[in-house]
Amino acid sequence: MKGFLGTAVRPQLLVLLVAGVALALLVSANRFFAFVVGITMISIMWAAGMNLLTGYTGLVSLAYAGIAGISAYGTVGLVMRFGWSFWLAMPVAATGAAVVGVLLGLPSLRLKGFYFALSSLVIQTVLSLGFVYFVNLTNGDTGISQIPPPDIPLAGASFHGAAFDLLLTCAAWLSLVAAWAVTHSPFGRRLVAIREDEVLAEAIGIDVMRNKMLVFFVGSLFAGVGGALYATYVGFASPRSFDLLSSLSIWLMVAFGGRGTLMGPIIGALVLAPIPFMLQQYDTLKDVIYGALIIAVIVLMPGGVYGALLTCFRKAPAIRRRLLKHGGIVANDGSLRRS
Amino acid sequence: MTTSAILLIAISVITTGLVLGVIFSLVAAGVTIVYGSIWLPNAANGQFFLTAALICWSFATWLAVPIWVAALLTLAVSLPISYLLEATLIRRFYDVPDRNIAYFVVTLGVTQILSGIFSVTYGRWSDQFNLPPMIGGVTFIGPFPMTNNRIFVLAAATVLLALLFAMLRFHPYGRALRAVFQNREAAALRGVNVRAIYRLSFALGMLSIFAGGILYGMAYSFDLTVAWTMAVTAFAIMIVGGPGSVLGAVVVGMVFGFTQAGVSIFTNPTLATFSYLAAMLVILLIKPSGLFSR
Repeated sequence: MKGFLGTAVRPQLLVLLVAGVALALLVSANRFFAFVVGITMISIMWAAGMNLLTGYTGLVSLAYAGIAGISAYGTVGLVMRFGWSFWLAMPVAATGAAVVGVLLGLPSLRLKGFYFALSSLVIQTVLSLGFVYFVNLTNGDTGISQIPPPDIPLAGASFHGAAFDLLLTCAAWLSLVAAWAVTHSPFGRRLVAIREDEVLAEAIGIDVMRNKMLVFFVGSLFAGVGGALYATYVGFASPRSFDLLSSLSIWLMVAFGGRGTLMGPIIGALVLAPIPFMLQQYDTLKDVIYGALIIAVIVLMPGGVYGALLTCFRKAPAIRRRLLKHGGIVANDGSLRRS
Repeated sequence: MTTSAILLIAISVITTGLVLGVIFSLVAAGVTIVYGSIWLPNAANGQFFLTAALICWSFATWLAVPIWVAALLTLAVSLPISYLLEATLIRRFYDVPDRNIAYFVVTLGVTQILSGIFSVTYGRWSDQFNLPPMIGGVTFIGPFPMTNNRIFVLAAATVLLALLFAMLRFHPYGRALRAVFQNREAAALRGVNVRAIYRLSFALGMLSIFAGGILYGMAYSFDLTVAWTMAVTAFAIMIVGGPGSVLGAVVVGMVFGFTQAGVSIFTNPTLATFSYLAAMLVILLIKPSGLFSR
């Protein structure tokens, strides 16, 4: 816990908090922009969790949105059916979703690279089908609407408007702090070792399975908390919100921003999360744009925007050092090394 | 249930199973050839399958050419498409060690692009697509009818599969391709141009997927969702049969075809997709190299 608090007061993270709060307050007059910012904040949280899996451990988990969905449906069910407080329901549902995620992912964690990604895709597909199939829990394709926003404990009120935006900003910031704390701990370094060379990591005494399981649990927690916040913020939950395309979009945010860096998910979410809102009625165009970006990132920019920045300032060691320091790169991943 | 009713169900399962099975096998063989040689897990196979059916439909509807001309034209179109994809995207990763994950994500991106494009074009134009039958008429197997068109599809797919097998077994290119499957370094040392074989196998794989799509469109009416189902099915077949094993693709493809036919008669066809996913997951967990791997 000391690590977490120590991390929270780091100047670069405090700057991010101030920037986030300022952004949320700045747009609060316009509900539409405020909503876009709110969704972006949730995306930052999701991307930060995905970054732990993809960026630091090298696990491309395409079941990520499905796990967020379990938590979202769980929270909504506990709040709407049993009258639980959001603040009790969310931790329970998120932890439950993370446990389910680990249980589902447990056998596939032995697999590497493509085979892991494929089995996570299978799990995501099964979860998506499940969301449609269990109509009495999820209301099927129609989705659940009129989900109440989180209550403010003991005040008899609930989060609305700017207050909710600020809540999301704080949640996104806390997730970044948590991600920083994880990646700068011995545990985070073990993850990088696993990503770089699993056999070697095993050989120097790292329990690969145990660490993968742990990071899968932590990453799923991010997904779960984000899912619960998403459902209550939008007021609507449907299988479409938690399908394979959502998992891919979150992956894209991480890869586009820069895998294995603190800033990467932030950049990725800031740039990509607002795109669907700008397209409005042309929203199928979103799929095309995201698809094209996925290809472009892999082919042209394996290190993401942040990696490209680092390459740009290769000749300027001072700036590069600052970028590295504030971006929190632990080690370059294979793709970055290539650039 | 009377005996004739049981017989009717049995015959319908067998005929549908055969038609679906050969089409599944053809597509899965295409996917597995490409994975076996290039390590390219083509997640977009379902979209290419649909592309073929839609292109064939467009030729037949807009140009009003006879259906066999449309089918041949569509197969011809697959070649420039493969060439373009190979030259712009696929070629870049030939030397990357862990390229299968990069390819996987890239083809997921291609899937997203194609499905986005189709949903605003073909998706707006029609809900269901029908290709005119190649041959009219109905043949009776005992008292049970089967359209000549589906018999043609069954025959055509079988011939194509046989050709594919013969080519892989006897033609010098096919032998070189199998050599690359087994050991690329050794093949290169024996004078096989590995990159040329990569290109060939990609074109061959796309051709199989396109042929599968055209034949499926001829046998059944289809909509845009068939892409996703096919992608899942072909992947499941490839993984269960063993990546790179054409024999595995055909055997498992036939099994899945019969499963699909049997399940569709009694309950929701989605359950069949569920069973493929389950089979794939089980194989991934206990024997990732598949049932028919060497």
